[in-house]
Order: sequence, then structure tokens, then C-alpha cells
Amino acid sequence: MGRAHTLRDIAIGCLVVAVLAAIPWMLPGKAFQDFVIRCASMALFATSLNLLVGYTGLSSFGHGLFYGLGTYSFALLMQKTTVSLPLAFLLTLLISAATAVVVGAICIRLRLIYFAFVTLAMQMLAHSVIISWVGLTGGDQGLQGGIPRRVVAGIDLGNQYNLYVFSAAMLVIGLLLMRHIVATTFGTSLRMIRDNETRAAFLGISVWRVKLTVFVLAAVFASAGGMVMSLFVSGAYPELINWPISGDAIFAIVMGGVGSFLGPTVGTMILLLLNDVVTRQTEYYGLALGIIILLFALGLRRGVLDFVTERLGGRPAGGIH
Amino acid sequence: MDLDALLDCVTTSSCVVTQTVSGLIVGMLLFLVAAGLTLIFGVLKIVNFAHGTFYMLGAYLAYSVFVGTGSYVLGVLAGGAGMAVFGVVFERFLIRRVYGANVLMQLLICYAVVLICDDLVKIVWGPDFRAMGMPPEFQVPPFFIAGGVVPPFYLVLIAVTLLIGGALGLGLGLTRVGKTIRAAAINPDMVSALGINTTLLYSMVFAVGGMLAGLAGGLAAPVRSLTPGMGFSILIESFIVTVIGGMGSIAGALIAAVVLGLIRSFGTIGFPLFTEGLMYIAMIIILVVKPSGLFGKEIV
Amino acid sequence: MLQITGLTKRFGGISAISDVTMTFNPGTLTAVIGPNGAGKSTFFNLISGAFRPDAGEVLFKGENITGMNRAAIVRRGIGRAFQVASFFPSMTVAENLMAAIAAHRGQWADLNHRFPRQGVRARALEVAEMLGLQDSAGVLSANLSHGDQKLLDIAVALALEPSMLLLDEPTAGMGPEERWRMIEKVQRLWQVQNLTLAFIEHDMDIVFGIASSIRVLCYGRVLAEGTPAEIRANPAVIEAYLGTPDAEDDL
Ligand SMILES: Nc1ncnc2c1ncn2[C@@H]1O[C@H](COP(=O)(O)OP(=O)(O)O)[C@@H](O)[C@H]1O
Ligand SMILES: [Mg+2]
Repeated sequence: MGRAHTLRDIAIGCLVVAVLAAIPWMLPGKAFQDFVIRCASMALFATSLNLLVGYTGLSSFGHGLFYGLGTYSFALLMQKTTVSLPLAFLLTLLISAATAVVVGAICIRLRLIYFAFVTLAMQMLAHSVIISWVGLTGGDQGLQGGIPRRVVAGIDLGNQYNLYVFSAAMLVIGLLLMRHIVATTFGTSLRMIRDNETRAAFLGISVWRVKLTVFVLAAVFASAGGMVMSLFVSGAYPELINWPISGDAIFAIVMGGVGSFLGPTVGTMILLLLNDVVTRQTEYYGLALGIIILLFALGLRRGVLDFVTERLGGRPAGGIH
Repeated sequence: MDLDALLDCVTTSSCVVTQTVSGLIVGMLLFLVAAGLTLIFGVLKIVNFAHGTFYMLGAYLAYSVFVGTGSYVLGVLAGGAGMAVFGVVFERFLIRRVYGANVLMQLLICYAVVLICDDLVKIVWGPDFRAMGMPPEFQVPPFFIAGGVVPPFYLVLIAVTLLIGGALGLGLGLTRVGKTIRAAAINPDMVSALGINTTLLYSMVFAVGGMLAGLAGGLAAPVRSLTPGMGFSILIESFIVTVIGGMGSIAGALIAAVVLGLIRSFGTIGFPLFTEGLMYIAMIIILVVKPSGLFGKEIV
Repeated sequence: MLQITGLTKRFGGISAISDVTMTFNPGTLTAVIGPNGAGKSTFFNLISGAFRPDAGEVLFKGENITGMNRAAIVRRGIGRAFQVASFFPSMTVAENLMAAIAAHRGQWADLNHRFPRQGVRARALEVAEMLGLQDSAGVLSANLSHGDQKLLDIAVALALEPSMLLLDEPTAGMGPEERWRMIEKVQRLWQVQNLTLAFIEHDMDIVFGIASSIRVLCYGRVLAEGTPAEIRANPAVIEAYLGTPDAEDDL
């Protein structure tokens, strides 16, 4: 039965990529492709954050550290060394994982709100380092100069359409992997810790190891999202590691639904749509967005997808108490 | 990094005086904001992410009253009173609906309020920064202490913030309401068990917290430029202060605020681009050594 | 089975457990009694590794387990249920048990296979049946009745196939009839599973009705130990229980 589920998920994933790849043939124009690329990057990031928040009950405010680290590591490796794109990609994942081991080891000892703030402090510290290390990172101007050597296996990711399909494929692969993680026994350990940490420990689970592992895994997926963004913007910018990036991810998962696997993806789409539509309509983006958030948050009191699932009589897979 | 400049400064009495005074001002204003934040957290277990907005609105309100009446004192009082009312309204209509909800839901609500208020400020006062300028009564020659230039207004500011801090301490220590608030911060369950009207208590706490932030905003107005969004950096800093001091501890907030103010003022000389980084490092180190802050209770 | 010597735990200045020495023999059904605040829960917490003792020694099957962490002690065969039922509220009864079994089988860090792995579900249903929870297997545990939640807590502990089981007030918060239904299940479990079982209980009818031996704690010390008959005749116990009739309602 387990294998059948996995195969079904993979089939759906392939279908989604195929459909997305076909759409530009019917709907030319860059806007849609841009939207999907940004969505892919942000949804990978938001879903990885939900591994922590929704599945493990670890409310991180500083997950953007790993998203930003992904953009900067990747862009720096491409600009300052001669490694190929796939190798730079793998090295970036390794850098993020190694950083997450250190940051996680410090942070996960702390509880609740202290955990939240120390993760934020870690991110802001990284932001400060990037701003002040002008020689390496370009400071507040960001890493300009583009990403060279974009050809992978004969496919040029400098081409908008190719990057679009690549991003969609990255998102689908990332989501499939994360879906697998939460469906394993390790994924069940996450829920046990979220529900009742003491009981989990009394069942012989090493809570500390599970938390650190999921922290590192989440960092890896976040940095993958960051790399997609780096390819899209051809560089790396301090905004991509500043606090609002974490705010956006939190917004996406809370709006989309922490209890549903695809909640963060749905939330990301809502966020980016709001962003694009509202900024076009009014210069008072904050006012409009704030009012919409209040209506959502006070009206539904949970994420959109969680709300739908409950309405359909289902039980959200996660849920925070 | 410019360690030479820092070394020069700490070995020159005039520079030490100037930086210490400006550090104290930053620290004391921060303390007023952080005290409300920590009080709200202690009693309601709510993290008020909109607290920086109280500060911003307090500053703008004080600015307008000052421009209208010419009285700085009236401006500051208006900032405090206005934000006390705003705090109560905010608690009553928004925060009260998400008690017990996940901290991220609370974060989202507060974030919405921050976005809305920042844009409202843009609409009412314009998007560009505004300067209140030094009130005429303080436009007097500066003091020189050990060679350091100290504007009299700075000393007044330190004295007034100390007075407010002292009044807060006395109020919490001696009055009935204060004692209840403190008891609630230590043990929230006990208060409802004792049959105290928690609805009223929560409104009070938000009123006090809002008032402190509004006063801080008003007091700071002459020495800060007012911009929409000015609440954010003070919010982050007062979080650092409350976390370092231990969430719920007023004494901890005072100590942490002063230390942070000094780190800021001396940090700008030694590490002009990395001053904020220093604050984050301080916070991380403290939490690694003492996971619930300097004066925080262990959360089990 | 379990030998405890000189066990001591202080909270701040107060000794919750002081110099407790006692033995639990294999296969016994022992009741631990004492007024509220006597240190009974703390005693279980010390044995199971929730707290580190300040002094003393705990030997389990001859091995010194003093100061080991919770996970290590569980793996050696001491399971426990809690005074306030402890389980995973977002999961169904079956999922709770499957999760516990998977953890027990060392699969908790398994990132390769989907949950539950082979044989886990079948075993979960077996465990549910031991406590009569099989009909609620698909029910969300948060929605169970209070009594069934206490049963689930025990079932989760049982999923670890412990050789010794510590139950902290299994009948807490139950009416008289429900209590007896619970305690009969516990007794049957003890017999069928061949467990060494210790439980904390306030209802003296139950204690004297089913326990094969009794330990009385008072102010963190051992006041008396022995068979029900011995305890019934012990003047110190009579004093503690009858001398201060309110002792049980202190908290
Ligand atoms: N985690 C703790 N921290 C501080 N004191 C505790 C803790 N746990 C128990 N105590 C104290 O230890 C004493 C014994 O408590 P407990 O073992 O729960 O008693 P019982 O289970 O017999 O009612 C009480 O005075 C209680 O307040
Ligand atoms: Mg007890």
C-alpha cells in the first residue's frame, strides 16, 4: 500500500510538470512564467518551514536564514569559482546543512518563544554579516554580475522557458521528497514530538536528534528554494535574507494552512497573487494586505486549505495546538 | 571594523561621556518600550509584535500636538494617553480573538496591524520623514562634562525616563492593580482562580504597555526622525531586550536595555556596519548560557 | 527486579523524596499510597528518568540505571503511564499505538520507509485488545472519553513490551464504577502479561482489594511497607491516615 501511494504521488508530480511545461505554448508571455518561478522558490521555502512549524511544533522566525544562505552560497560559488552549476547546487545544499547543524544545535535547546527569537537573531546576524562584508557580498547593493555557466546537460537555464520548467520540476521534486519525509516513521516522530514531547521521550525517541535532523532537512529544502530565486534574479540580495522573507513564509503557511501538506504552497500562491494584484491597484499595499489578512485570520481562524479540508469532513494531517 | 577608533574613544574622556550619555538615552527609551512588551507577555503570554507601532504612533501624535500647541510636554502626554487608548482598543477588538491561538496566528494579526498603521501614517503625515526639532525651551547651550558635549535635553530625557521607570516600579510594587499584574505575570492561572476580572486586567496591561510605548515615542520625537516604519527597528531591539532580560521580567528589561544602548552607542564607533550584528551576538550568547534569559523563569 | 537505595530528590529547599529505600520483587502487584504531595509521582519520575535524583541508587534487574535518561530507561523495560493521561491527541487510537510500537522497534529515525512498517498495525490492534480499546481504534484520541484516554495511556506504555509498568493514579478522576472497571483491566493485564506492576492509588478499597503488597509514602519518606494485612494493622499508617483526615484533600 505504501508503495502505491508513493507511485501515485510521483505520477501526479510528473503530470503537474508536464501540464506546466505545456501551458506557455497556449499562453505566451512572461508574466505567468515569472509567477511560477517565484512561486516554486517560495513554496519550497514555505513548505520546508512547515516541516518545523506544522509537523514538529517548532515555530522558527528565522528560517529565511537558510533561504538567503542558499541564494548567496550559490551565487558566490558560481561567480567566484569555476564549479559547474550542478556541483554548485550540491555544495550549497551541503553548506546549508552544515550551517543548520551548528545553528540548530544552539537553537533547539530553547523553548517556544525563545526558540523563535533566537532563530530570528541568527538570521539577522547573517544579514548583518552580509551587509557589512562588502568585499565578498557587495554589501547592501547585493551580488550583482549575474550567474555565469548556466548550461546544464545542454539545457540553457538562461532561457526563460527552460528556467521555468526547471523551477517547476524543482518544486515538484522538493514537494515529493518532503511528502515522503512526513509519511515515514521519522515523520510520525515529528508529530509525536509536536503533540507531546514528554511522551515521545518516554517511548525511547531521542527528541533532540529528531529535532536537529528535521531542522537540517528543512534548511536544505529552504536553500534549494533560495537557489531557484538566485537563478531568477541572477544574483543575491540582502532582502533575500532579511526578516521579511521569513515573515512571508510564515504568512504563506498560516494563510495556506499548517495542517495540510499543500497548505504552504497554496498560501504562497495567495501571497504572490495578492502581492501582484494589490501593488498594481494601489500604492497603499500594506493597508490593503493588512485588511485582507485580518479578514482571513479573524474570519477563518485557520489556513485556507485546513478550512477546506475540515469543511469536506476530513482531518488535517497536522494542526497546531 | 574600526577598532582603533573604538580604542581612541574609550581612552578619551570626552568621547566616553558623549557615547555613554547617548547610549543611556537609547537604552532608557528602549526600556520603556520593552517594559510594556515584557509586561504584556508576562501576564497574557502574548507576544505583541505590534508594539513598535505603538511607539511610532506615539511619536507622530506627539509631533502633531507639539506643532499644534507649541507645547512639548503636552505632546508627550498626548502620545502616552493616545497609545493607552489605542492599546485597549487593539486588545479588545483584535488580540482578544486570538488568545490561546498559535503564536504564528498572533504574529499574523499583529503584522497586519503594523502594515495598516504604517500606511495610515503615510496617508496622514506623508511618506517622507518628519523632524520635530528641539523644543524651544531646550534650545540652550550644552553642558560640558569631562570634555564631552552633553545637550541639556539629553539629561532631561534620562531623568524623565528614569522617573517613569521608577513610577512603574512603585506602581507595580505598591498599588493593588500593580500587585495583581505582578501576580498575574508570575502565575496567570492563580489570578483567574482568585476570581479577579481578567478581562479588565488584560485591558489594563495593554493600556499600561501602550502608554509606556507612546511616552517613549513622544520623548524620542525631538531626537529621532519620524518615518512610517520607524516602529520596526525599535520592535526588534525591544525583543532583544525582553529576551535577554527574561520574558516577563521588568528588572531584566532595564538592565538589558541599558547594556544594549551602550553596545549600540560604542558599537557604532568600532563596528559601524555591524552594530546590529553585535546585539544579535549578545542575545545568542546570553540565551546559550541561560536559555530563559537573565531573569526569566525556567519554562518546563 | 527493582531495588532502590537511599533515593533523594530536592526541589529548591524542599525534599520531595528523602532517603527512600525499597524493593519491588518480580511479578508483584504493588500499590504505592500516601497523602497528596507525599512524593509518589516524584518517586515514579525518579525511577523512570524524568528527574535526576540528588542521591541514591536505582538498580533494575541488577543494572544501575540511576541518572540514565528517559529513553535509555524505557529501552531497559520500565514503562509508565501518567497521572494526567499522556498520549498524542492529533492521532487516532491505532496511530498512537503504531507510533509507540514503531518507536519501540527503533524505527523512529527511519527516513526510508513509509509509516507504518510491516507488522506494526497488526501488533497495535493486539495491544488495543489487551485493554479493550479495539473498537475505538479509528477514533481520534483527543475525542475519547476520559476513562478511555487513561486506558490509551497505559496501552501506549504497554506497546513497549515492558517487564515493569508504573501507573500513576490509573483511576484518577473516575467515578466508583468506572474505577473498578479500570482496575480489573489493570489486574488482568498484570496476570496475563506476567508484569511487575506498581500503581499509585487513593481508593483504599481498591488498594486493599487487589495489591499483593503496599508501600506507604509520607512527606517523601517510607512510612510503612508490607502486605495489606500488615499495613492495615500498622499504627503509623493509621495515624497518618486517620489522625489527619484532610490529608488527602490538601492540594
Ligand atoms: N517539578 C517540580 N518542581 C518543583 N516541585 C515539585 C515538582 N514536582 C513535584 N514537586 C513537589 O514535590 C512534592 C511531591 O509532589 P508529588 O510527587 O507530585 O506528590 P504526590 O504525587 O504524592 O501527590 C510536592 O510538594 C510538589 O510540590
Ligand atoms: Mg501525584
